Amino acid sequence: MKISYSWIREFVDLDVDAATAASALTMSGTEVEELAHQSVPREVVCARIVEARRHPNADKLFVCMVDTGRETLQVVCGAPNTRSGMMSAFAPVGTSLGPDMQVKKAKIRGEESFGVLLSERELGLTDDHTGIMEFDVETKPGDVLTDALGLEDWVLDVNVTPNRGDCLSVIGVARELAALFGRELRVPSIAVPECAEPIGQALSVKIVDTLGCPRYAARFLRDVKIGKSPFSMRRRLFQSGVRAINNVVDITNYVMLEYGQPLHAFDSTFLAGGGIVVRRAAQGETFVTLDSVKRTLRDTDLLICDHEKAVALAGVMGGENSEVLPTTTSVVLESAFFDPAGIQKTSKGLGLSTEASYRFERGIDPGMQVDAANRAAYLMAVHAGATVLKGVIDENHLAPSGRNITLRRSFLEKVLGISDFPANDVELIFRGLGCGITAGDAGWTISVPAFRHDLLREIDLVEEFIRVYGMDKVKPELPMFRPMDGVSPEKGLKELRVTLAAMGLTEVITYSFIAPRWREYFGKAALELLNPISDEMRIMRPSLLPGLLAALERNRKLQTRDISLFEIGKTFHPKGQGELPEEVRRLGAIVSGNRFDMHWSEKGRTVDFYDIKGVAESLLKGMELKPSTHAHYKALCQADVVLDGAVVGSMGCVHPDILAMADIEDDVYAMEIVLEPLLRRQWKGLSDIPRFPSTWRDLSLVAREDVPYADIVRTISSLGIRDLSQISVVDVYQGDRLPANRKGVTIRITYQSPERTLEDSMINRWQERILNVLRAELDIELRQ
Amino acid sequence: MERQLEELRKQFLDDLEHIHKSEDIDPLRIQYLGRKGRLTAVLRQMGSLSAEERPRMGALSNELKAFMEQSLVAKAAALSTAQAATGIDVTLPGRVLRRGTIHVINQVMEEIQDIFRNLGFAVASGPEVEDDYHNFEALNMPANHPARDMQDTFYFSKGILLRTHTSPVQIRVMESQGIPVRIIAPGKVYRCDFDITHSPMFHQVEGLWVEQGITFAHLKGVLYEFARKCFGPDIPLRFRSSFFPFTEPSAEVDMGCIICNGSGCRVCGNTGWLEILGCGMVDPEVYRFVGIDPETVTGFAFGMGVERIAMIKYGIDDIRLFYDSDLRFLGQFA
Repeated sequence: MKISYSWIREFVDLDVDAATAASALTMSGTEVEELAHQSVPREVVCARIVEARRHPNADKLFVCMVDTGRETLQVVCGAPNTRSGMMSAFAPVGTSLGPDMQVKKAKIRGEESFGVLLSERELGLTDDHTGIMEFDVETKPGDVLTDALGLEDWVLDVNVTPNRGDCLSVIGVARELAALFGRELRVPSIAVPECAEPIGQALSVKIVDTLGCPRYAARFLRDVKIGKSPFSMRRRLFQSGVRAINNVVDITNYVMLEYGQPLHAFDSTFLAGGGIVVRRAAQGETFVTLDSVKRTLRDTDLLICDHEKAVALAGVMGGENSEVLPTTTSVVLESAFFDPAGIQKTSKGLGLSTEASYRFERGIDPGMQVDAANRAAYLMAVHAGATVLKGVIDENHLAPSGRNITLRRSFLEKVLGISDFPANDVELIFRGLGCGITAGDAGWTISVPAFRHDLLREIDLVEEFIRVYGMDKVKPELPMFRPMDGVSPEKGLKELRVTLAAMGLTEVITYSFIAPRWREYFGKAALELLNPISDEMRIMRPSLLPGLLAALERNRKLQTRDISLFEIGKTFHPKGQGELPEEVRRLGAIVSGNRFDMHWSEKGRTVDFYDIKGVAESLLKGMELKPSTHAHYKALCQADVVLDGAVVGSMGCVHPDILAMADIEDDVYAMEIVLEPLLRRQWKGLSDIPRFPSTWRDLSLVAREDVPYADIVRTISSLGIRDLSQISVVDVYQGDRLPANRKGVTIRITYQSPERTLEDSMINRWQERILNVLRAELDIELRQ
Repeated sequence: MERQLEELRKQFLDDLEHIHKSEDIDPLRIQYLGRKGRLTAVLRQMGSLSAEERPRMGALSNELKAFMEQSLVAKAAALSTAQAATGIDVTLPGRVLRRGTIHVINQVMEEIQDIFRNLGFAVASGPEVEDDYHNFEALNMPANHPARDMQDTFYFSKGILLRTHTSPVQIRVMESQGIPVRIIAPGKVYRCDFDITHSPMFHQVEGLWVEQGITFAHLKGVLYEFARKCFGPDIPLRFRSSFFPFTEPSAEVDMGCIICNGSGCRVCGNTGWLEILGCGMVDPEVYRFVGIDPETVTGFAFGMGVERIAMIKYGIDDIRLFYDSDLRFLGQFA
């Protein structure tokens, strides 16, 4: 909400500048998001057009002699309202009206011009550019414009929190400032000039739905002359970002900004039967609002009707069928209190939020309806020549909503941790906020006015006190504490990240939502958002791989080919209807291109399956791989990761179809493992460092091609040779020198005993047994 | 014989000239001075000389022998010096192992966690897909509460949504472990908003300390301590009154702009202050939702945006960079 400082100051005497006031508002919870200085250069003066004659060479231009108070200058002007004798705003040669607007001496179609006459828009005062400025106050040539019209001002852009509907007005903000600076809020009482005709003869009001509309006040005005509002009013509306329409509509908006009470003006000639009826809409009923949109209503929406038809969507927007037009002469002025929840429902349901609905939703002052109607009626009498009928209709079904709340001093101290504040400050603060306060033995009783519907509990009063007293006056204090014992459960995670980074993988964080097309590879049952940012971000990822692949694709587009990435994050797996899904923390990794940076001394090597497997193996001791058939990996180039008999992940060569979709030509290897086993680390106790030497023997074996290495290891291990400490593979080869369908595998067997140096004879016997069992069970021969 | 010696000297010098490697010096020495060497062969003829010639020739050949030995030593020295100069090109690049980086958001998150662990906070977590009750209702935001408009929510169905903040962890922890409680809850949160300062997914760290005797002054103390550790010892803070449905009194905390030191710049919008977190005293209503008598305890809660902290710390001006996975960006946080 934007409001000007000069307007605020009509209601409270402040001797501080706008910046100080804005900062105080911000610190107390009513944040001033922007403070904009507004002024007109002091060179711009009031000037009289002594003479205006038609330009000899241009139909639409005038050549004027302008009395600037100091001299009389010739000025060429194109405004249609230019005429002899009028006062207007004049900027002499040399005036700077903006970064690119320097007034220069000019020759326009042969006539010299020594300055410019200006419109309100050119001066940044309103958006009116229909002609040069005219004044509705007394001025004389040579008066500095900014002083004569009081144009020097500041506009505060105030961000009012949702609990403070009472601050959505000039008076509301002025009240805050009054409390903050210990000043008096002055809201003048209004004496409306009335004629003898009582309103009851012209208008009746009937509320059918008193829950939706607990209060409806109205004024009736005749002899209204529709026209332009006075400059000062139009300028304030402009400062607040409200478009000026005509004097009657402008006044309703002006009073809404001033009092926070939305008003509506009907042209009474369009009200059939001379009566207002407030009722619920029928389900499916249609209504055309002021903006010419036909809206279909629900039976929770509230309508203002005459005796035949609906004329306004209550609290949101008026109807096209009853709006104030240039021909309007009599006006019904509505000032009502609508149920905040009802208005919110209607506004949300129709997707239609207005200045009025915004205020009703947040709760307006239930005691303001008659005052606001009177203020508007008064302004219409003054600025639209209206005759105000005698009396106000006030259908009021509101229960009194003021309340008394006890504030214990002990409670205040317990919550805030301060005790050195003067009791007198508490009283001053609450009085300033418009509350009544009486001191008791242990605290205060505070009577809260109706407009502060956010103050219901003792804790609400604690907040009121501290936000005005000043949070900066509370001294920071560290409570007694003991740093956390033991090792952080997150420490494993941190070490995992460090390890992966040291292995050359870079961590990425990708969005948890992915495109629905991934369902094809990861299952149909993904969780789907009702309101995604875009279709590409519609389903909750069942796997980290789509995000990693997108990251890979992106970096390939940035001309990087050697890419190793990892991500640690949750995947989402739906459970039953209405149940929260299962969330599983996982580690995903992806490698492509060269595993290591190129070096001049050797040829580079592109990654293969054993690179990604190596990453997993160095993180997860004791894992095994079992062939798998996942749709997102290439067939026969993939495996499940098994740990202690349970599948905890998978890895493989990413399916060529997926790579084609992403335009990736290189092979990509990926893995995904449930995080928890990776973090599990148990100290298994210290083991002895071997004191006797180890011995190793290589065996060059020839095996059938389909015998996995793991079977060889398992078969040898099944012999239970205690001093066999390690089996490793030295070489795997295939080629012409071997029989068909055979492969060569050279393994190295290391022996070591904790008790003695092993003798050759013993080792030879073991080697013999190993060869025998391999021959018998796996059809493996020693290579000749 | 004298001519022979003279010839030998010439040949020796010529051979020596053609030696470029120190390995070749010993063979040359053997060729001339060895037992079967050429000089040795000449000396064998000494017996056939007359007695008067013999002493002169002896002196001459000894002189030649000494000369050859000296020359070989000098050559060896020269060669070893030369060889050292052309050994290996140490300026060629070494074999550097490519290092990855930890995502800057996780680095900052770990730093924040470490600070709060040292202040006695345990780390808690909760689901990212939440129900309406924990995300809103139990945090004192009933249906239709205007405060819900402050957070654009992603929904899966009427009651199931992506958490809009880490605050539901407060509720879950108080429900499951009661009080006293002192936790932080780091994690991902989601709001449907996407531009240069808003990402639909971002990270928060929530904090909660509920215990008898905890006050607003303690909240300030803990957050000052955090700011000191995270941004430096003299960083000014200001507590600005604000509104959150689940805390009262509520405050937003601004930190003196570390770019302009408070004098006003583009980053802080000329205010000299940067907003870093929201906080407040836990609203009594929240205690009621988790079955705690609000008269018996007080406590505070706070929540900060990790991206915001990272952006301030590293001068990053576009939040989308965190999720672009651009290695040229991520690699800078090694």
